[in-house]
Amino acid sequence: MTYFKYTLLVIAAISLLVFSCEKDDICAETTSTTPRVIITFYDVNNPEDLKEVDALSIQGIDTDGNVLEDLVEDSTTSLLYSTSDSIALPLNFNEEGITAVSRFRITKNTDYDSDDDDTTASNSDVIEITYTPEFIYVSRACGYKAIFEGTEVDRIEEDDDDLWIINVITENTTIENEDEAHIYIYH
Amino acid sequence: MLAPLASFSQEDTTETTESDTLVYKQKYGLRVGADISKLVRSFVDDDYSGFELNADYRLTHQWYLAGEIGNEEKTTINDYLTTTAKGSYFKAGVDYNMYQNWLDMQNMIYFGFRLGVSTFSQNLDELTVYNSNPYWNNPISASNVSDSKGLTAIWGEIMIGIKAEVLNNLYMGLNVQLKGLVSQTEPGSFENLYIPGFGRTYDSGGFGIGFGYNISYSIPIYKKDKKIIKEKNEDE
Repeated sequence: MTYFKYTLLVIAAISLLVFSCEKDDICAETTSTTPRVIITFYDVNNPEDLKEVDALSIQGIDTDGNVLEDLVEDSTTSLLYSTSDSIALPLNFNEEGITAVSRFRITKNTDYDSDDDDTTASNSDVIEITYTPEFIYVSRACGYKAIFEGTEVDRIEEDDDDLWIINVITENTTIENEDEAHIYIYH
Repeated sequence: MLAPLASFSQEDTTETTESDTLVYKQKYGLRVGADISKLVRSFVDDDYSGFELNADYRLTHQWYLAGEIGNEEKTTINDYLTTTAKGSYFKAGVDYNMYQNWLDMQNMIYFGFRLGVSTFSQNLDELTVYNSNPYWNNPISASNVSDSKGLTAIWGEIMIGIKAEVLNNLYMGLNVQLKGLVSQTEPGSFENLYIPGFGRTYDSGGFGIGFGYNISYSIPIYKKDKKIIKEKNEDE
């Protein structure tokens, strides 16, 4: 009867595998999921050249026109007050196939507001991005991600007589990943 | 003319002259049963209901024709997906008993091989779009996204198990199964997370695992001698 005991042990060991936790139940951070829109800043005088924006700060503007809190890239690298030629912004959306809009207030020289020089001040412009989300299956653990089609971008001018953003263009109308820029801003 | 006769009679003499030859009756018949674990799970697990009937028919001393038929409904829930798979399956194959029984006992330690087929549906009940940047504080969910019917899957299976006779003709059995998916139809822009009969699927490939806890009753049809010579060697 020792055969039976050994076989029972083998069966018990394999049964443990059945109930144990697998790695494909956790969505890996490296998985490409819902992308942010990538915006790069170019020099309006030399359109081929990237041009950094000093002391950037960015806020989303909700559908009621309220300015939301400052966007941070992630917990370690803050977009706030950073000097950068490229930013990644999360997009707001609702239903699949329904065109959605995100508005962002992009401010340069944010630090001018807090320095001692009264003649300098920060400059905020608003851009509006429209797109249509589509839901794509990723995996068991990550579920579905959204990608965005038919992306368009506009600069909102509303009684702003001091625009620092000269021109905005859509370079990629499909936002599928964060590997390349989708929108160019010239300043 | 004489040669076959001579050998025939010789065979007879060896058998009769062998002093320590023992003869035990072995029952041959049809064994039918059910998977208790699936019934128990149906009661305790709200996200599962299923049953499985199984049968085997003894062909030779060690080989059995075996098969299972069942039905399962399983709801798979995680943070981002809720899906329900529902359908029936059929498995057919053989069991090979490698256990040398004492006396007239008919217990089994066996390897089994099966081919399984399943037809099922998979409903995507709910999804929440995965978004690692929740800045807008607007998580997006959708319900009753899709219902894919008429899906099929075919797989191969090897199993190892035991069957022990606990009462006259009543057997308890335990087995584990390792499965390899041969083919499957998948819902458009989605995948099969659970296949009735096969179990849950894995990202890493077409492998699956399963287990069974069976109770079965053997209906004896005829008996056959098992001859044990010098306790070890068998005459079959």
